[in-house]
Amino acid sequence: MKNHQYFPVTLIALAILSGCNAAPPKNSFLAEAHGSYDSARNNPQVAYLAALELNEAGNSLSKADIALSKGESAATVDHLAYIAKQQIGIAQETTKRKSAELAVANAGAKRDQVRLEASTAEAKTAKQQVVIAQKTVDQQALALADASENAQRDQASLMAMAAEADSAEQQVVLVGKIADQQATELEAFDASTARDQASLKAKTAEIATANQMLANASDKAERDHALIVQQETELKGLNAKATERGLVITLSDVLFGANKAQIGSGGMRSVQKLADFLTQYPKQKVLVEGYTDSVGSNAHNQKLSEQRANAVRAALLDKGIGSERVTTHGYGEEFPVSGNDTAANRQMNRRVEIILSDANGNIIPR
Amino acid sequence: MKNFNQNKPHQAYKLVLATAATIIFIAGCANNPGPIEQMASSRAAVSSARSAGGSEYAPIQLKLAIEKMSGAEIAMTNKDYVLARQLAEQAQVDAQLADAAARSAKAQKAADAIQEDSRVLRQEIDHKAE
Repeated sequence: MKNHQYFPVTLIALAILSGCNAAPPKNSFLAEAHGSYDSARNNPQVAYLAALELNEAGNSLSKADIALSKGESAATVDHLAYIAKQQIGIAQETTKRKSAELAVANAGAKRDQVRLEASTAEAKTAKQQVVIAQKTVDQQALALADASENAQRDQASLMAMAAEADSAEQQVVLVGKIADQQATELEAFDASTARDQASLKAKTAEIATANQMLANASDKAERDHALIVQQETELKGLNAKATERGLVITLSDVLFGANKAQIGSGGMRSVQKLADFLTQYPKQKVLVEGYTDSVGSNAHNQKLSEQRANAVRAALLDKGIGSERVTTHGYGEEFPVSGNDTAANRQMNRRVEIILSDANGNIIPR
Repeated sequence: MKNFNQNKPHQAYKLVLATAATIIFIAGCANNPGPIEQMASSRAAVSSARSAGGSEYAPIQLKLAIEKMSGAEIAMTNKDYVLARQLAEQAQVDAQLADAAARSAKAQKAADAIQEDSRVLRQEIDHKAE
């Protein structure tokens, strides 16, 4: 019973198995070629790079299949399968070649890429080096600038120091000058002090001298006064008379001989007195004037008056009086002091007048 | 191959033509016709594979191609044209495979060389960069 139940199933399985066995071709070469072809076709690289070769192989495989299905000889099917198999190999080799060629091409590109990268890297390195060099240069420039600045600062400070030294020197010079000046001033001051002292001394001396002189003058004044008194006394002795022409001493006729020019002994005493007076006052000068009365000729009287004046002069010179101090003048019968009417009056007119100069020796002439 | 397929429906007509052509060929060349074009292209393929460096890069395939080619020549001489054609065709694909293998090997070599160059260059650059 159980065998009856499974019978149809067994039949179905047998039918499936027989059906499966009937479909595939019975050629090992061709089956191998199909396997190779399928694996090649499933390789996208082959399908892409060797499409033509793969297509030829497919055509050859189809021919082989047809030959097999037509029941041609195994040799023919084997031959066609072999052709197909070899063409699949060609397709595979072509794929390899093309991929290698692509790799070469890509390698070229890749190498270019690498070179580009290398160039880029080199450029980058160079750039970096340039940057570094630039930095170094910058740093050096900076350092140089610093150094330059330092040098300038040093220079400036040096100059400042030099200036300070100069100013110090100048100050020293100035101080020296001031010192010199002060010394000079001091000297001047000393000198002026000395001068002042000297002038003080001089003034003291002057004052002393002045005092002395004052004393002297006072003495002299006293002496002069005494002298004047004495002079007056002496002049009185000489019968001197104060007139508008000064002091006039008149030697009367009696001192001369009548109508003569010699001085008598009495006259000589008066002359002696006069000579003493003149010796005592050496600045005094005298003018000796001779006069007569109106008796006799004018020429005679003129001559007589001159002779008498000269006689007095000669007597004075005889007594040691300098000739420059005694001048003479004869006036004859001119300038009578009284009338010529009586003998007494005429005697008064016969005279010699001695005019004394002032203290400086000036005589007012007639 | 296509010719055979097309000939089948008009076999009687074609037979007449083939006979006439055979007569003409025999008269003209005094030789068998055979797969001359196939032989020529196979020889060219073998030659190309040789010059592509097949003996160096794909010696087995090239050797196969050469052996099959000589077999085809012998078959031609024996006027076994079907065998000659088969051998010539196989020789052609063998030669083509040798050719392709040699070319791909060379390309691979170039690629390897370039990759090595690239590596060296990279190394140099990296070294320089350091």
